[in-house]
Amino acid sequence: MDLAQGIVKAAALLGAGLCMGMGALGPGVGEGFVAGKACEGIARSPENASLITRTMLVGQAVSESTGIYSLVISLLLIFST
Amino acid sequence: MAKKKRPMLKIFIIFFVVEALLVVLSGNFSKQIQIGFDKGKFVIRHVEFEYNLQNKITEEFQIDEYFRQTGETPEIYGSEKLYEFFKKVFGEKSAIGSFQLLRMLLIVDLLLLFVALSIRKKLFGRPSKPQILFEMIYTSLEQFVSETLGKDKVSYTPYIVTLFIFIWVSNMIGLIPIPGFMEPTRNLNVPLGLGVFVVAIVHITAIKVKGLWGHLKNYINPVKNPLFLLDIVGEMSKVVSISFRLFGNILGGAIIILVVSSLVNFVVLPIGLSMFFGIFVGTIQAFVFTMLALTYIGVEIVE
Repeated sequence: MDLAQGIVKAAALLGAGLCMGMGALGPGVGEGFVAGKACEGIARSPENASLITRTMLVGQAVSESTGIYSLVISLLLIFST
Repeated sequence: MAKKKRPMLKIFIIFFVVEALLVVLSGNFSKQIQIGFDKGKFVIRHVEFEYNLQNKITEEFQIDEYFRQTGETPEIYGSEKLYEFFKKVFGEKSAIGSFQLLRMLLIVDLLLLFVALSIRKKLFGRPSKPQILFEMIYTSLEQFVSETLGKDKVSYTPYIVTLFIFIWVSNMIGLIPIPGFMEPTRNLNVPLGLGVFVVAIVHITAIKVKGLWGHLKNYINPVKNPLFLLDIVGEMSKVVSISFRLFGNILGGAIIILVVSSLVNFVVLPIGLSMFFGIFVGTIQAFVFTMLALTYIGVEIVE
């Protein structure tokens, strides 16, 4: 592996780390927000707990998708360069 | 009936004994117990090898690249004729990956067909246990459909139920510890195909409800909707978002299981990881995919 390839590989690995780290910020905040709101909702009306939990899980999985995109991008950066 | 009191406890005890044996026997890092199926036989071997995580990941997730690098003859096909056939159909580049993917899809499809036919055979009279299970799945999803689309659109239920059961079985089948078994949803082609079909069905539904011109009016009317080009891009992004979510979750889970279990020398922890990334995430993602498909269809109907 010559110098140029090494630099490209190092930059790709650094980019993968940065991509995953920054991409995990948004979903983390979003999922925490959804979970907190769901707790409030369950405390307010415990009889709707199952419906709220289901909606919460679906909403969390949807808001997780940006994190998943960054995971895919970082995997591409790691394994395809 | 006294013997059948706790069947799960026995299974757990067997698991723990096997895991404890593995802990004792695989203490040496350069040696490893290999348990699995080799050419149709069940084998337990004490193999000595140099474990390379990078090679393992390449073999597991980029199998075509692996065989191109190592130059081994692919024994995965079983016969030379099949290999030639696949080479001819899919080209030199992606013969092995396509073969594995198609084999797994075929296994999933045959499983679903077998279950469906075997339940259908004794459909009448006293309902059997699997029949009750599948009726429960069907009724709960039918309730979702009638809540989202309205009472008169329950005819979408079979599609939704098929989507859910197919994706769920696809996510679960990677848990079976046979070499070469993988989740079909780990390959991008399967979720992408499912996503394209979801969006196609959304548009067919919209044309059915509003008429062809009534549907196209939303897209090619620059006076009413000056940003109509963005709407077209949004339709494309529906496919990407719905399919990459499933693909990324399953692939990321598989890679995390492989990396972390190689760190602990494949002892004890993989079961817990499979419980979370295989069963929990797989079920949630199958459910989310179905719900999103339902929501996309519902948006077009309700407007």
